[in-house]
Amino acid sequence: MLFVVVACLLSCQLATYVPPVTPQTVVATSGRHVDVTTLREGRRLLVHRCIECHTLPPLWHYSIEDWPEIVNSMSHRASLKPAERHAIVAYILAVRSMQK
Amino acid sequence: MIEANFTRKFALVVLLLSMWPATAALAGARHFTFLYEAPTSAPGGVELENTITWARAIDGATRLDQIVFREELEIGITDHFQLGLYPLDWSYHNANNTDDNGFSYDGGAVELIYNLTNPVIDLAGISVYQEISGGRQHFESESKLIVQKNFGPLILDYNLTFEADWEDQGLQDRHGELQQALGVSYELSPRISVGIEFLHEFVFPYWRDEEKIRNVFVGPNVAFRRRNWFVTVTALAQATNTPDEADFKVRTIFGFGF
Repeated sequence: MLFVVVACLLSCQLATYVPPVTPQTVVATSGRHVDVTTLREGRRLLVHRCIECHTLPPLWHYSIEDWPEIVNSMSHRASLKPAERHAIVAYILAVRSMQK
Repeated sequence: MIEANFTRKFALVVLLLSMWPATAALAGARHFTFLYEAPTSAPGGVELENTITWARAIDGATRLDQIVFREELEIGITDHFQLGLYPLDWSYHNANNTDDNGFSYDGGAVELIYNLTNPVIDLAGISVYQEISGGRQHFESESKLIVQKNFGPLILDYNLTFEADWEDQGLQDRHGELQQALGVSYELSPRISVGIEFLHEFVFPYWRDEEKIRNVFVGPNVAFRRRNWFVTVTALAQATNTPDEADFKVRTIFGFGF
């Protein structure tokens, strides 16, 4: 029983895995000119600001085209400045590019 | 002269209030009503939260209803620090064995929450909480340790609370309470979540434990959020059999960002 519970929790955890920024993440932004500092800030903001209202959906749940509009639509509620919004989108798109 | 001064101050207040909606946002939606969550509000986030708790205690032929209202202005100061102001704590009492029924103003409170770790990327999200409340012949200190872990759409939340209160003339009546609370919430969608809340109270009247008062409450909750507002409702029933304690409680929190 305990094994089933732990397995369920771990699968839920993996579903919203927010990977740390690595050299591979930076490579995945090729063409978008995003530096490592912006990506780290995007990850930090994603895990702090977005969970004030809801849990994080799996990043693969929405397409690369959808993510900028999703973040934009909630940016006011999360008190995100334009640069912060840009950083979150850059991080998500980099991770999504790696998942392709 | 006095009139001009008043007009200037009034104009300033109106100007500040008119600027507020342009700069502020929702401070955060609640998944639980009897538990606090580890994440704090974004800096600049401002929200008004209205909490209404209805509790009913029945002891033989005696019935007591109490409705407590709390209005909170919640403000995100930094990424990890949140301030809450409660200027209006008031309540309504109604019992079938007395004529002393009606409304009363209970005082106000200030609450501070500091977030230490994150519930998504750290092993557990931890925050510490301190509330100081006071009113006529009443002073209370409430300290909490909040521990939360997010597993995808599932939130596990635990609060350990220590309360000390001083009441009556000269604040001579001193009581204490230790409470642990566990909550589980599952997000069916980004807008709706359902869950369960469990409270376990250890009450120490006059800081003594001779009566061994232990209360357990358990019940479901549901939360709905949309745009800049949310509403969360929890219904708890007493699983123990403590006299003079509520048999059930229903709490609703309605919050909206400016």
